[in-house]
Amino acid sequence: MGWTVPALAALLAACGGGAPGDGDTARLEAWFHAGRQAERRVMRQQVARFNAAHRGQIRIDLTLIPEGSYNAQVQAAALAGELPDLLELDGPYLYRYVWQGRLRPLEPFLPDGLVADLLPSIRAQGRYRGHLYSVGVFDSGLALYARRSRLEAVGVRIPRHPEGAWSWRELDRVLRLLARRDPDGAVLDLHLDYRGEWFPYAFGPVLWSAGAGFLERPGYGRAAGTLDGPRAVFAMRRIQRWLERGYVDPNLDDAAFPAGRVALSWGGHWSYPRYREAVGDDLAVLPLPDFGEGSRTAQGSWAWALTRRCREPQAAARFLRFLLRPPEVLRMARANGAVPGTLPALRRSELYGPGGPLRLLAEQLRGGRAVPRPKTPAYPVVSTVFRDAFADIRHGVDAARALHHAAREIDADIRANEGYRFAEGGASGAE
Amino acid sequence: MPWPGSWKRALDREAVAGWLLAAPAVALLLAFVAAPFALALGLSVTDLRLGSPLPVHWAGLAQYAAILDDPGFRRALLNNAVFAAVVVPAQTLLALALALLLDRPLRGMAVLRTLFFLPVVFPMALVAVVWTLLYAPGPDGPVNAALASLTLGAWTPVDFLHDPDWALPALMVLSVWQGVGFQMVILLAALQGVPAHLHEAARLDGAGPVRRFLHVTLPQLRNPLIFVALVTTILAFRLFDQVQIMTRGGPLDATTTVMYEAVTAVFERQQVARGAAMTVVFFAVVLAITVLQRRLVRERREIE
Repeated sequence: MGWTVPALAALLAACGGGAPGDGDTARLEAWFHAGRQAERRVMRQQVARFNAAHRGQIRIDLTLIPEGSYNAQVQAAALAGELPDLLELDGPYLYRYVWQGRLRPLEPFLPDGLVADLLPSIRAQGRYRGHLYSVGVFDSGLALYARRSRLEAVGVRIPRHPEGAWSWRELDRVLRLLARRDPDGAVLDLHLDYRGEWFPYAFGPVLWSAGAGFLERPGYGRAAGTLDGPRAVFAMRRIQRWLERGYVDPNLDDAAFPAGRVALSWGGHWSYPRYREAVGDDLAVLPLPDFGEGSRTAQGSWAWALTRRCREPQAAARFLRFLLRPPEVLRMARANGAVPGTLPALRRSELYGPGGPLRLLAEQLRGGRAVPRPKTPAYPVVSTVFRDAFADIRHGVDAARALHHAAREIDADIRANEGYRFAEGGASGAE
Repeated sequence: MPWPGSWKRALDREAVAGWLLAAPAVALLLAFVAAPFALALGLSVTDLRLGSPLPVHWAGLAQYAAILDDPGFRRALLNNAVFAAVVVPAQTLLALALALLLDRPLRGMAVLRTLFFLPVVFPMALVAVVWTLLYAPGPDGPVNAALASLTLGAWTPVDFLHDPDWALPALMVLSVWQGVGFQMVILLAALQGVPAHLHEAARLDGAGPVRRFLHVTLPQLRNPLIFVALVTTILAFRLFDQVQIMTRGGPLDATTTVMYEAVTAVFERQQVARGAAMTVVFFAVVLAITVLQRRLVRERREIE
């Protein structure tokens, strides 16, 4: 992703706020991640339309921040006490901001009906310690993309619903059969070319499906016994075995699936448009495999939160209500390809609605198959430690040792932060 | 004492001038070395975490106890020690060998010297990226392929940077390669400073090349060699760039270092106090090594 374009856009957006307003206009600063071009364009149009409709009452000043270092920049701004009124946050990073006492609960400002219309997964992500702190306009999901013809050629069944997902044993067999017919034997793409958050996002579902996870639930206070427990080790060993047997394409060019090198691709909803274009009707969308306790998928995406610095929460909430209207939700979801975040919008979505090619992803999010990443202020550390552990497992380090090491690192961080307890008094999210 | 008054005044004036002349350097040293270190010392006895809503407490020596109890940090100390124990002698000897080879009046020697010095000029980030490619796993990785052809195919390919047993040695090789040119240049300069008449006299006395090296060249190189070893030791303890870019301290802490642990603690985990304690320990270790080396050197000087 280019640095200069979003930076320039941020600069322009920051400079554009010079319109003369009278004293009654509530001016609100909003920070948005500089995603794809289409996403940025829709966001700017939405802000422009909202401002035009509320001239003299509310004015939103939009600032775009580059995605790659978004969290670091916002954390730096938070330390300097320079947060905006409205802030977009990437899913599981929310809880750290709540712990730091930077955010305001949203319930007093949003009608109950609107909250009830949100996807259950978005509510689950935004709800923390009894309050709703963030609302997303869209959500994300994972699927196992497949070339239908290749699966038919080896005569395996093609699951259509999460209930019918392949067990890991079945997937083992599918991989073996596919590899026999494949010139290089690599038939699965795990998007090993991605960086960063992909690994906890994409392989958390493996842990959950095996009955394990990153941290002990419900308190999320400890990794030992969960992240390095026998179920987690078992699940990660299955993945390691696929790697050892050469079933996994390293996918250095990010084209393993569209170029036809592999028959299966472990990917996010964002891969669909490209895959669809390359593969056409041969593309099948399957649930992720079942490692014992049923298929699981990831969830969570960018969501809006209200900071404590905001002096006009009612005005800010009006902007959020505007963004959550079905036509606006659909505009944004079309621009970035994500799952529309409210049920009315979802019903009208061509991709995710009833009969849509990606309805499986919506079904997973609505049907409790999606698990939020650990809802704890420790998440940034959990994420980086798990990435390193996954890299070690990928390169042949014994999964039990790698996970044990990771659990120890995470627990040391939790201990050093006094269990991420909330400070007494009103400043934290416990109010 | 012919002119006591003016003598005293002159001394005063000289002292004032001396202080004035030293002031810029002293101010900078205070601002950029002494003050940050004092700050680190101060922070290391608290439990300061950046961005934490919890109040900061006096922690006494708890941070020191915690890091010395942390297997990751202990491994980092061990890795630094192993790295220094291997790299310092290897790099110094190699630098000496190269300097001896290149200390000949041949045509094109300047070009050769430049070539050997070149890696020093490269930024470590660039070297690390290139060597990551060289260390590529599988039989197609350049280093693996070279080793296979050298051993006539007996070599089984290794994933150097991801194998807990190979990662640190791999970093050592690349660090020696990158750093040796610097030491070579210093030793080369020293070699050219060895008076020719000493060699001539030795030759007249019937000393062969080996004895001339042992009894003329080496004693003359003693001080430069000590300097080179000291600098290499300190650089070895500062090992960070290669680790950050190539292995991120992994696999399983096999390549973590004190610097890497400190930087991770502060910039990834926001544990400022913990990072400060690590840098204080780091300072103590480097100081101890420096003092030890200087003392050894001084003793020998007295014997001579």
